[in-house]
Amino acid sequence: MSRKPWQTTFAVLALFAASVVLTGCPKKPAPQAGTGPGGGAGPTVSGGTGSGAGGAGAAGAGGTGAGGGAMGSGPGSAGSMGAGTGGAGAGGTGAAGAGGAGAAGGAGAGMAGATGTTIPSLPSPKEFVESGALRDVYFEFDRYDVRAGDKGTLDENARWLKTNQTALLLIEGHADERGTNEYNLALGERRAKATRDYLVSLGIDAGRITVISYGEERPTCTDKNDGCWVKNRRAHFLVKQ
Amino acid sequence: MARWLGLLAILSAALLAAVLPAPTPSHSQGVEVFLNVTQGGSKKLGIAIPEFTRLTQAPDEGNFARAIPEIIGNDLRFSALFAVANVPALPATKDGIQQEFARLQQAGAHAAMHGLMRIDGQRLTIEFRLHDLTNPEFRLIASKMFWVEPLADHRRLAHRIADEVVHQFTGERGIAETKIVYVSQFSANKELVMIDYDGFNQAQLTNLRSTSLSPAWSPTDSSVAFTSFFKGYPYLFRIFPFNPRRRGQDPELMSAWPGINTAPAWAPDGRTLALTLSKGGNPDIFTLRVGTSDFRQLTNSRGIETDPSWSPTGRQIVFTSDRSGSPQIWVMDAEGTNARRLSSGGSYDTQPRWSPRGDTIVFTRRTSSGFDLWAINPDGSNARPLTQSNGSNEGASWAPNGRHLVFSSTRGGRAQLYTMLADGTEQQPLTRDRGEASSPTWSPRPQ
Repeated sequence: MSRKPWQTTFAVLALFAASVVLTGCPKKPAPQAGTGPGGGAGPTVSGGTGSGAGGAGAAGAGGTGAGGGAMGSGPGSAGSMGAGTGGAGAGGTGAAGAGGAGAAGGAGAGMAGATGTTIPSLPSPKEFVESGALRDVYFEFDRYDVRAGDKGTLDENARWLKTNQTALLLIEGHADERGTNEYNLALGERRAKATRDYLVSLGIDAGRITVISYGEERPTCTDKNDGCWVKNRRAHFLVKQ
Repeated sequence: MARWLGLLAILSAALLAAVLPAPTPSHSQGVEVFLNVTQGGSKKLGIAIPEFTRLTQAPDEGNFARAIPEIIGNDLRFSALFAVANVPALPATKDGIQQEFARLQQAGAHAAMHGLMRIDGQRLTIEFRLHDLTNPEFRLIASKMFWVEPLADHRRLAHRIADEVVHQFTGERGIAETKIVYVSQFSANKELVMIDYDGFNQAQLTNLRSTSLSPAWSPTDSSVAFTSFFKGYPYLFRIFPFNPRRRGQDPELMSAWPGINTAPAWAPDGRTLALTLSKGGNPDIFTLRVGTSDFRQLTNSRGIETDPSWSPTGRQIVFTSDRSGSPQIWVMDAEGTNARRLSSGGSYDTQPRWSPRGDTIVFTRRTSSGFDLWAINPDGSNARPLTQSNGSNEGASWAPNGRHLVFSSTRGGRAQLYTMLADGTEQQPLTRDRGEASSPTWSPRPQ
């Protein structure tokens, strides 16, 4: 045995399964393809043990290696062919999709008939346009309460809505780029709804108002500083006449 | 012999604990005798991978005999379990091979992976043979054959072999065959893009010309759930990236309640999705039985509840809630009961993601320098930073082995994807896209 001292000291990373201890000892080559307890999914015990022993056929499919000693050359060649677990021949792992889940249910009309599995009949955001008469309101970082100083702006917006009775309103809720996308979508939603609730408290019909959150996805200002972020934390108003 | 095995048994347990963050389950299997190399403070196995031996006369136009060992070598290096040496081809004679193994062993290699390669038309076949160089006879520990067709899929073959090598040494398959889906900025739009786990084979998955967000890879059926604005409002859809019959079709609708439909998170069984809906007024966490309209509300607070992530047992859900006044990490039973706060010490903690090993939850914390990834134990103890003072770091996703994380960082300017180990070491860039790259989701291992 010509092991060097450092080798012995550093010895060995090993996880021994019983099969290896039993069949995989040096100088006791297991002659045949190792059919360990193969099969099943997950980290199966797939052979590949002992000199010349092959791997057990792991999780189904694919071509079996075949070919045996034909390729043998070099050390350990004695019947050294593993059961080849086949390569990924066919294109892609098909995902038998669970059909069109979206098709279920009746026509959900807006909030009332909504089922969650069909697109609600809300007006498209594209139908709303900018109105010079309506001004944005702004929010503190990570807050969604309407600031006292902004209530005057909303009062004016409400007056305009009362004199333009046929106008429908879309309130966009926005966040600045700081923070995470999912949280900011929720935050923008809260900002839009806080604004809507204030307008409703002033007598605006809730049925005229649609809200949408864009989170941090649609900034008006793209610099990375406070002056810019302040402008992005906003509720923005669009109208449809 | 008996003494030798006894020594192995003792040392293997100790060294495995050092190499792997957590022991693999009891059905881990047959591994062999390997030495450790100390490298960069961690113990790694030295493995030499010679250029493959060609068994067929067909021209090797892709230079696979050299390229595939290099891909395998990179996979094994990425695993952080191996120190890899890609070396020239072995001699043709048995004696010559023995001499070369002896030389490699002297140079510090503890194992060698010899590959025999055939090219038959478009089929590439490789038999690999693992040798224990610490054994005086360089014993063959395993051999196995793999093939792929067509030749253009050779990287997949290489990844499969690398995963098998990892399996031989750890009892757990590697992750080199996995993919990563993320959000990529295309001018004003955000589309979903898929890459191999090592960044190759980039493919655009959606072309919705809209904003798509928060992709989440199903653990069982190769679908990716995500939020998109392409129907106007933020609804939840899914796509099937590997299903050619669905190519060019609209994504399948999963949830379209008025308000937001965001933050999808698959239960480990793949049959239930947790998500955030605001149909009740404010953003709360719900579950959806996939393929049905069975929505159930789990949280009901006056604040924001979002970012659900399941424990690997499926019994608990970790999430973000601002019910205490600022966003913090909370955990509850999967029925919505027994909610309790996990995080403390931060003013803004979001995006919790439960490790598939169950022992760690990674999350995004706002710090004085921006955003950093932190980790915490599921009992709320041992909160620790994984990234620090290096741009804003967000949106981590676990590899299926629970040892690696992918995340986005602005450390190099615009946001790109990076990977690291679960303890925050070995941080390295993954994407170098022209647009921003964010919100990665790491696929499960292929079935």
